[in-house]
Amino acid sequence: MSGDHIHAEPTGFLRKHVFSVDHKVIAKQFMWFGLVWLLIGGVMAMMIRWQLANPGTPVPLLGKLLYPRGDGSVPPDGYNTLFTMHGTIMIFLGLTPLLIGCFGNFCIPLMIGARDMIFPLLNMLSFWTVVLGGLVGFYSLFVPLGAAEGGWTAYPTLSGNIGTPGSGETLWAIAVFLIGASSIMGGINYITTIVRLRAPGMTWGRLPLTIWGLFFTAILNVLFLPVIGSAMILMVLDRSFGTSFYVPATLNQTGGGDPILYQHLFWIFGHPEVYILILPAWGIISDLLSFFARKPAFAYRVTVGAMAAVTILSAVVYGHHMFTTGMTAMLGESFMLLTMIISVPGEILFFNWLHTLWRGNLRFTTPMLFSMGVIFVFGLGGLTGIYLATIGTDIYLHDTYFVVGHFHLTMAASSLFGAFAGTYFWFPKLFGRMMSEKLGKLHFWTTIIPLTIVFCTMFISGYAGMPRRYYNHTDLPFLRSIQHLNVITSVAAFFLGGAQLIFAFNFIRSRWWGAKAGVNPWQVGTLEWTTPSPPPHHNFDTIPTVVTGPHEYSHPALKDRDWLPQTENLPVA
Amino acid sequence: MNARPSGRSLRARRPAWLASLAALLALACAPALSAQVVADRWGPNPPASAEGHRVDTLFWLITTMISASFVIVLLLLLIPVLRDRARPGHRASYDHGSSLHDKRFTAIVSVIVFIVLDASVLYITMRDLREVVWNIPRPGGNTYQVEVLAQQWAWNFRVPGPDGRFGTSDDIVTINALTLPVDRPAVFNLASKDVIHSFYVPDMRVKRDANPGAINQVWFQPAVTGNYDILCAELCGYAHYQMHGTLAVLPQAEFEAWQQEAGALALAAWDGNDSEANWAWEWKENTP
Repeated sequence: MSGDHIHAEPTGFLRKHVFSVDHKVIAKQFMWFGLVWLLIGGVMAMMIRWQLANPGTPVPLLGKLLYPRGDGSVPPDGYNTLFTMHGTIMIFLGLTPLLIGCFGNFCIPLMIGARDMIFPLLNMLSFWTVVLGGLVGFYSLFVPLGAAEGGWTAYPTLSGNIGTPGSGETLWAIAVFLIGASSIMGGINYITTIVRLRAPGMTWGRLPLTIWGLFFTAILNVLFLPVIGSAMILMVLDRSFGTSFYVPATLNQTGGGDPILYQHLFWIFGHPEVYILILPAWGIISDLLSFFARKPAFAYRVTVGAMAAVTILSAVVYGHHMFTTGMTAMLGESFMLLTMIISVPGEILFFNWLHTLWRGNLRFTTPMLFSMGVIFVFGLGGLTGIYLATIGTDIYLHDTYFVVGHFHLTMAASSLFGAFAGTYFWFPKLFGRMMSEKLGKLHFWTTIIPLTIVFCTMFISGYAGMPRRYYNHTDLPFLRSIQHLNVITSVAAFFLGGAQLIFAFNFIRSRWWGAKAGVNPWQVGTLEWTTPSPPPHHNFDTIPTVVTGPHEYSHPALKDRDWLPQTENLPVA
Repeated sequence: MNARPSGRSLRARRPAWLASLAALLALACAPALSAQVVADRWGPNPPASAEGHRVDTLFWLITTMISASFVIVLLLLLIPVLRDRARPGHRASYDHGSSLHDKRFTAIVSVIVFIVLDASVLYITMRDLREVVWNIPRPGGNTYQVEVLAQQWAWNFRVPGPDGRFGTSDDIVTINALTLPVDRPAVFNLASKDVIHSFYVPDMRVKRDANPGAINQVWFQPAVTGNYDILCAELCGYAHYQMHGTLAVLPQAEFEAWQQEAGALALAAWDGNDSEANWAWEWKENTP
């Protein structure tokens, strides 16, 4: 099955570089696409931070261009659009394409020893659907009566015609629907490929943990993206076709809908989405920590089990987003208990990562630094989740900057660090050239220090009671007294944003002018490092036969090297 | 996978492990204490409601425990970073962590983490929830009822006049200004005219969404007289950030004087045909 040569190498430019069905080309397309959107979403974050630190003052450089009618400062509705689109773009168009689209496409066939994805055409369709979704989303910024302003959560009735008359919100919903459809196509492809196309000997117990992470993510994508898709269809019907699924009878004579229905649908998807983004990052760093500690991953099966447990639990905890909505005591307490249980598999993952490093032979490469960065950042983010899982404290902290700090550390920063680790690690295999290690390490330290300041300051301002999604925090005396925290956050955020230019420079320069990479520059044993960099169209000259697990490092009987490819038998001690 | 022959290295060090764990717990008090300094400087005002201190107590309990956990994680990260960096002649230990001993160790740590971190917090918050949050005082007796109708971008409050009943001509209707008597439980019946808002009084440590089409309840008992901010915590559109009100908590005698005066004004201005001004609803008793 896996030995088949699925499709011939194309010769025309369009077939080769644009409408390609080759998983490696699609992976690169997803990567460029994700990076461009991360840049756009990042610039929006900078504008948000500018507004919060200097409310109502013209935005330098961009202000006059984006808001030509005023003095170049962000208007209140423009501010709402900024954080709405920042969230949507970063989650759906930045991190998802980069972590899942790029690494899923690139790593799955190469790491399991296949020639391509099982459905190459579906794979291409998945990419072009997300492009269409991105274009619709971008176009929504420039329509009459205004862009989307309802937050990335888009709660009705604010996101209905009552709250947001502009057609931008309708286009936003259509864009999210399209992006969701793309993720479902990708998910089906990933699951089927992993189940059906593993090379001979690549048993479930020999799969790299990266693949396990992507596998669980694909399952969540297939199960829960349809829910957000349905929620978006109902929203479009409400907005454009006069239905009232989300409009209560008190506001609309024609029907008795319920705005809370949307919140349930949204979070049934929305909570798994957090794990959709973090599971690939967990998988990647579980592998990378072992690779660069030159030590087998500690308790491989337990790590897989913990990721599986998180995958299952992620589907039954969504109610913790709605503790102030008006839940019954029984529901609230159930969701609180289930949420708390997630801390057990979470703690086991930390335990295994730290144990993998223990008595290793640590090589502090850039991918290693970013992987260890995930331990630090996710540690901060995960532990602060306990405040928000606990109803007693969540009621006070809900919708304050505390929540903003928490979810940025977990789903945003940790996923992004995983994506950076993966980018530095697989760049030589993707493009055949090395990224600069010196710039990479500079990028790491100039990212993690301001990032910690940005989000930990948010914890302090959130605890003080600063609400999120406020255009201006200087109106009230008690908020004005902590406005300097906003200034600290913003200054650190500008450093954080600036540091990403180091990455952009390193990426572009290395792509065309970096040092040539050999077959296996990191000296690791997974299958993608047995084939040239970049791999040929058909990936492997002969489909490899796998005989060992992915993490065989520092075996005592290995004399001249400390690693073993998955295609070689363990030496006899 | 090759199992490690035995878990000797860890087992031999167990007393050392326990001793260092105890030291770490002591050490973790340092970040928790420094966090207390942060709170004194930048934290919220002390709670002004009778039960608000419960939120702060829980907050600091969690802070202490996660500080301890995070210090442990950082030290376990720092030790290999300092001790096990790659160097010529150095080799990692070949350990898959798949021995029975390792699994047992993982299980024990998980149980400890769940009991220490989660179960204690769960116990306290469940107690608080049942005694305070879910335990909304019944109408009548000492309970002071308030109807809150949120709208873009203001808080409409309706309280009974001197006759103590809703839906009569002396009902006091105010915008963005609420007056409450001290030391009496106040129950808020929340709804919204348009989009979802969230009734947030930081100094009382409460927050509850005001949804269109449904009535939500929240309560607290003001314990300290003074003026407090009422904010909207749920994004509600263009002027979300300007949707504030003021809560004045008065001593009982002053409150009664205010109620007489405001009730008389309401009676004088009452217009039975002005349906816009006469919003009120029969909130159900004991709505959860």
